[in-house]
Amino acid sequence: MEQTRKDARGIEHRQGVNVCTFYLNGMQASVNASPLARVVDMLRDQLHETGTKISCGIGRCGACSIWVNGQLTSSCLLLAYQVEGKEVTTIEGIGTEERCSIVQEAFINEGGFQCGYCTPGMIMATEALLKQTPDPSDEEIRDGLSGNICRCTGYSGIIRAVKAAAARLA
Amino acid sequence: MKQPEYQRRPDAEPKVTGSLKYLTDRFEDHMLIGKVMRSKHPHARIKNIDTSAAEAIPGVYAVLTHKDVPGLNRFGIVMPDQPVFCEDRVRYTGDAVAAAAAESAEAAEKALAAVVVEYEPLPVLDSVEKALSPGAEQLHEMGNILHEAFYTRGDLQQGFADCTCIVEETYQLPRQMHGYMETEGGVVVPGQDGGISVYMATQHGFKDRFQLSRILDTPEEKIRIISSPIGGSFGGKDELNLQPYGALLALKTGRPVQVHNTRKESVRAGLKRHPMAITMRTGADESGRVLAHETTIYADTGAYATLGPAILEFAVEHASGLYPIPNIKTTGVSVFTNNGVAGEFRGFGGNQVTFALEGQMDRLAEKLGMEGGQLRFINMRKPSDAGPLGQEIAPTDGGKMVLDDVAAWQQLPLSNTGEPPWLKNGRGGAVSMHGGGLGYGRLDPSGGRLALTKEGKLEAAFGFEECGQGIVAVIETVMKEAFSCNDEDIEITIGDTSKVPVSGSTTASRGTGMIWTAVENMKALFSRQLLTEASRVTGTAAADLYLGAGGIHKSGTESSLFLSYKALAEYVQAGDIETHTSFDFPVTPDEIDSGHYLYSFGGVSAEVEVNLLTGAVRVLDLKQSVSAGPVVYPQGYRGQIEGGGIMALGYTLMEDAVMEEGRYQTENFDTYLMPGVKDLPDNVTVKPREEVMEGDTYGPRGVGEIGTIAVAPAIAEAIYQAIGARPKKLPVSREWILHQIQQRGLLPWNKPEKMLGG
Repeated sequence: MEQTRKDARGIEHRQGVNVCTFYLNGMQASVNASPLARVVDMLRDQLHETGTKISCGIGRCGACSIWVNGQLTSSCLLLAYQVEGKEVTTIEGIGTEERCSIVQEAFINEGGFQCGYCTPGMIMATEALLKQTPDPSDEEIRDGLSGNICRCTGYSGIIRAVKAAAARLA
Repeated sequence: MKQPEYQRRPDAEPKVTGSLKYLTDRFEDHMLIGKVMRSKHPHARIKNIDTSAAEAIPGVYAVLTHKDVPGLNRFGIVMPDQPVFCEDRVRYTGDAVAAAAAESAEAAEKALAAVVVEYEPLPVLDSVEKALSPGAEQLHEMGNILHEAFYTRGDLQQGFADCTCIVEETYQLPRQMHGYMETEGGVVVPGQDGGISVYMATQHGFKDRFQLSRILDTPEEKIRIISSPIGGSFGGKDELNLQPYGALLALKTGRPVQVHNTRKESVRAGLKRHPMAITMRTGADESGRVLAHETTIYADTGAYATLGPAILEFAVEHASGLYPIPNIKTTGVSVFTNNGVAGEFRGFGGNQVTFALEGQMDRLAEKLGMEGGQLRFINMRKPSDAGPLGQEIAPTDGGKMVLDDVAAWQQLPLSNTGEPPWLKNGRGGAVSMHGGGLGYGRLDPSGGRLALTKEGKLEAAFGFEECGQGIVAVIETVMKEAFSCNDEDIEITIGDTSKVPVSGSTTASRGTGMIWTAVENMKALFSRQLLTEASRVTGTAAADLYLGAGGIHKSGTESSLFLSYKALAEYVQAGDIETHTSFDFPVTPDEIDSGHYLYSFGGVSAEVEVNLLTGAVRVLDLKQSVSAGPVVYPQGYRGQIEGGGIMALGYTLMEDAVMEEGRYQTENFDTYLMPGVKDLPDNVTVKPREEVMEGDTYGPRGVGEIGTIAVAPAIAEAIYQAIGARPKKLPVSREWILHQIQQRGLLPWNKPEKMLGG
């Protein structure tokens, strides 16, 4: 018989089933998943939160970028057990079509995307950069986005967007 | 054209918030996961395939091989020669042998691991030289030559005899990967009537429908292709990729099947840009007039045809580029090998020959003791000159315009100050000419449809695909200009064969021009339809009404809405207000196969910084001047040139999908290096030259490709200006740079005489 217990944080664990429980964009999420499941697969295939993309699968392109406890990371290199009990933020937690964030607005206005497939990851990286470094130098912008590949824009529009967002946030 | 500074793309908010569902994001109830098993060998005979163990694995619903293909077991846009599933022979490691559908990806992979294939390896023809050597195994019934293309004019021998200066060089071009961020895939859903809906990216839905109909032996009417939005394509998703497997598995299991390549699978099976070896011999008289130009092109087309023949013909056409040279001989050979299949890629063979041609111009200029720009001015085509194949083309002064810009940019001072001494800067320029549309003798139809929907929207329907280029923004912009309406008045219908008219392929830089032309054709009639109906409904004379934001407005009154489109829609039946157009891409009147009629032009100036200690080349400044008619959507235009420029920077300095013995050595983005944000030049400039000749009615030309063409030769010349060595092989490697630096003794403590083995 299935048993449940609560841990110190009040999160419920079902015994005998691999349940991964974490906070996704502020809401508690429980997923039946092997502790070794990739977080990107858990998000996309089980929770159908497909804003997080999958492209290289080896942590090189940044399309699957999310935050774990506020830290930017590649969700293709992250396993379910590593997010247990943690705060996970994905692109769905940044803004909505009706209420875009300042960074998202800037990407729209400055031509910071084309096909849009790298965009969620690029925005997660930009938001993380501007949280830490509100007034980044050119070098800091390039450092902050160096883990994300865009094949369409050639980055010029992205840099314009980051600068515009930084100026508005200042 | 006047544009607001910021105009939002219609797909903007869904893209930046991640809410947009790409076709690989789709999820269907009871969906199975499909996987494709590719060949273990680059070249082998298949002696036996046994799927019995695979079928017995729990959770597996179907295991398919060539025996399960009801129709033609082949695909290919030009000629169907690529097996859906190989029967008795594999020709590259991307060849499909079996496919499985299961409850999970793990179960499907397990099933494919249990398929037993007995191979008998054959000699691997991993180069053009091996494939053409006498006694080489024949890869296809037609032999190892896919296609040959020729062009001659004048008297080459006499031409060279009249030259005082001749240069000859062989250029090597790499196997570039498209590197679209979304790998191939999607979902196929079986219907009640034996039909299917295919949710997978392509650049031409109707062509996928045709090819799948042939494979599935199912009427085209029963196949629906939903093909937008696309996470990047660049030509790479125009040919079929996973569609046949998804479709066959869905039909076999009666359930929706998702197939989605991992990056490694995508690299292994996907198309690449043709590696080419191009030898050019070019001569001029002492005044600098180029009199003779001989070109030989060998293209490694890989195991199957796809668009190989057309790409070769494009390369042959563009071998003399913007220079009307009197004596020309061009020979192209596209050769089958056991390497990865090469096919359509942004630039379509123009990138390779332009690198060679512009390299020749710089070598020739140096030998003649003149500036590269000067030699190009002497030989530049005049507005009324014929096209590169001697065919009549739409008069254009684009070449001269972009060369003017490049020549001016070449005069800019270098940005370094001579410190530190191990950094050497140089600037180079190059120009290009690029044909749009598919060319003479090829079916190249287009068209569109406008309608008032029952919800009161102006529907613009086109058979084009949104792969990132911003075709939806182009449609919106053209509609707003034609009907003075708001964004909200427009409904865009694309990317679904059940809803769109025939518009032709979203390739060959043709989409923007075709949309503009279609709306030009339809706008008078459609406006009249709207106004006539509005007049009937309101009893106001049509002459007193005009179209504006939100609907019909009345002259002479305050500019406010008189009858909204929504209200008008309530008075009319579906289809009452609807108009269509169909036409062909403008083509040369001269019967010259593959010859183009509309050309765009690109001029590039690049400044590089070469690090003499590491051999690293950094592009500091990349300026592009583009002549492609009027700009429709400025943000998209700029983005195409900026993005194309950086893709070409990768082609020049870092990208090569290396193969050894028919196997990819670069399987993912850790070893296949594409430009990252740190490779972005400090300055990137895009200068549209919108002027067209008087009487030119062709409108915008499309800029999907032109920004990728002349970048490589400009960077190569800049490297030469920095270190005095001319690159002839791309990508320009650090090792090559260091070797040149050593040979030239550019480092004071590293003179050539000190080198061992020189």
